Amino acid sequence: MTDAKLPDIDRHRTPPPLRTAAIVIYATLALLVAAIPQSLTNWLREMKSSELQEKLLPGAERLQLLSERAGFSTPYRRCRELFLALKGSEDN
Amino acid sequence: MLFPTIEFAVFFGLVFPITWLLNAHNTWKKLFLVAASYYFYAFWRVEFTFLLFLSSLVNYLLALGLGRLKDGTPRLILFWLAVAANLGVLGYFKYYNFFAAQFVNAMDTAGIRVEVRFIEVALPVAISFLTFHALSYIIDVYRRAIQPSKSLLDILLYISFFPHLIAGPIVRANKFLVQTETPRNPSDIRLGQSVFLILGGLFKKVIIANYLSTEFVDPVFRDPLNHSSLDLVFGMYAYALQIYCDFSAYTDIAIGIANLLGYEFPQNFNYPYRATSVQDFWRRWHMSLSSWLRDYLYLPLGGNRFGELMTYRNIMVTMALGGLWHGASWNFLIWGLLHGAALVTERIFGLTGSGSSSPRSPIRGALSWFFTIHFVCLTWVFFRAPTLDASLDYFSTMFSGTGWGTTATPFIVLIFILGALSHIIPPRWFETLETRYDTASLPVKVMLPFATIFLIAVAAPDGIAPFIYFQF
Repeated sequence: MTDAKLPDIDRHRTPPPLRTAAIVIYATLALLVAAIPQSLTNWLREMKSSELQEKLLPGAERLQLLSERAGFSTPYRRCRELFLALKGSEDN
Repeated sequence: MLFPTIEFAVFFGLVFPITWLLNAHNTWKKLFLVAASYYFYAFWRVEFTFLLFLSSLVNYLLALGLGRLKDGTPRLILFWLAVAANLGVLGYFKYYNFFAAQFVNAMDTAGIRVEVRFIEVALPVAISFLTFHALSYIIDVYRRAIQPSKSLLDILLYISFFPHLIAGPIVRANKFLVQTETPRNPSDIRLGQSVFLILGGLFKKVIIANYLSTEFVDPVFRDPLNHSSLDLVFGMYAYALQIYCDFSAYTDIAIGIANLLGYEFPQNFNYPYRATSVQDFWRRWHMSLSSWLRDYLYLPLGGNRFGELMTYRNIMVTMALGGLWHGASWNFLIWGLLHGAALVTERIFGLTGSGSSSPRSPIRGALSWFFTIHFVCLTWVFFRAPTLDASLDYFSTMFSGTGWGTTATPFIVLIFILGALSHIIPPRWFETLETRYDTASLPVKVMLPFATIFLIAVAAPDGIAPFIYFQF
């Protein structure tokens, strides 16, 4: 009995796992930044004062503004408000 | 740097592509991973990176010496020197103050006044895990189970590799070093498994462990005398779930991250609260520590080779030292001794759970599970309470029947139920989900982690508490 082999066409269709992993990681991070942009700006604001912070913060703030204008960040805000209302607590 | 934080996402977002870009140049890749791991460790205290480097260098040199010497007294002396060097560092940072205090107290009781200088240095994060990795390497080289590595870089990477550096799993030298020899194969990435381990870990840590800890377990253990018996009973179960969700989350994320970088780590938890005996529990809980203690402590002590009495002694010594490994306190020692006593009792009466070859009736199985889970939960009280007095206060109030009201909110009960699901959902469900994920389209592959992390962020508490096992 010989080992079953995938037809060539199927093998070509399967993307390399590394490329898929990279797409999943960066697309997920990009979507999270778009959906919860304040997380990035808050994190950068809390960083110790540095050249890196000075360079990155304006970009992150612009991104937050864009996300808010486009309405990308609205679902998170609404969901968070709903969760806190159900739980009966407030954000710090 | 904690796993469920933005800085770690940024850190990993940089480490992942650079690691794979350098994959064909193995030495450069390892150099980069060592640098990244030291940067990761330096987030706690920069000065302890020196200790990390020194420990790796000393163990590298001593192992080379052990490899070159022929069997005999000089080799044995060098081996014990290596063991003493590793345990000496651990003892100095972790146990010196505890034993010094016991000595002063004992002398005081005898009416002798002794002045002892206590050390005021912060405990280096993960020093116990670091020591266990180093000892595993030294002992395996001494036993000639592995050849000493000629590459200092490999040893630096083995001891410092950031996914397992802080809280395990404890990866054996022979299992890790072989992975450093050649470039990793990207086809070995099991994306579905890694994604589910990381997402499951984030959920268990950020939602279950954090809420149980901050909104119920911490207040109850802080002041047991001012809580009802029901609160303390629920607090005991809640802590059992919290520590599982906290620790297994860390190692699940570590295993997932290591796999994304092409490295294989051993499984560390296997539904521990389904155990039907204490022996079975230790085959399912912190498996990399249990097997480490078995191979490097219990078996060298003689294991079960010299009769029943010596076996009981070896079990008690192993579990007492396993308890003390968690920290220098009477509580951890008592916790270890209680587990040791339970293992001995099971051995005497032939109650060793699923490992036993005798068939069991469902009722006997259910009873075994009931007694095991309650023994484990009750002993967790010693593990969690800050002092022995606090543990006794906890037990005395819990068993006094003072009040059956509770401060647990419906939200905490819901979190508890969600956490308990981690033990109720059959493992094959996760396997099916992983397989389906691996065959899903790319948009689905992206949307699932995004939606899960989004929902975790929606329900997350403010701030993330450090993982419990960071202190060990």
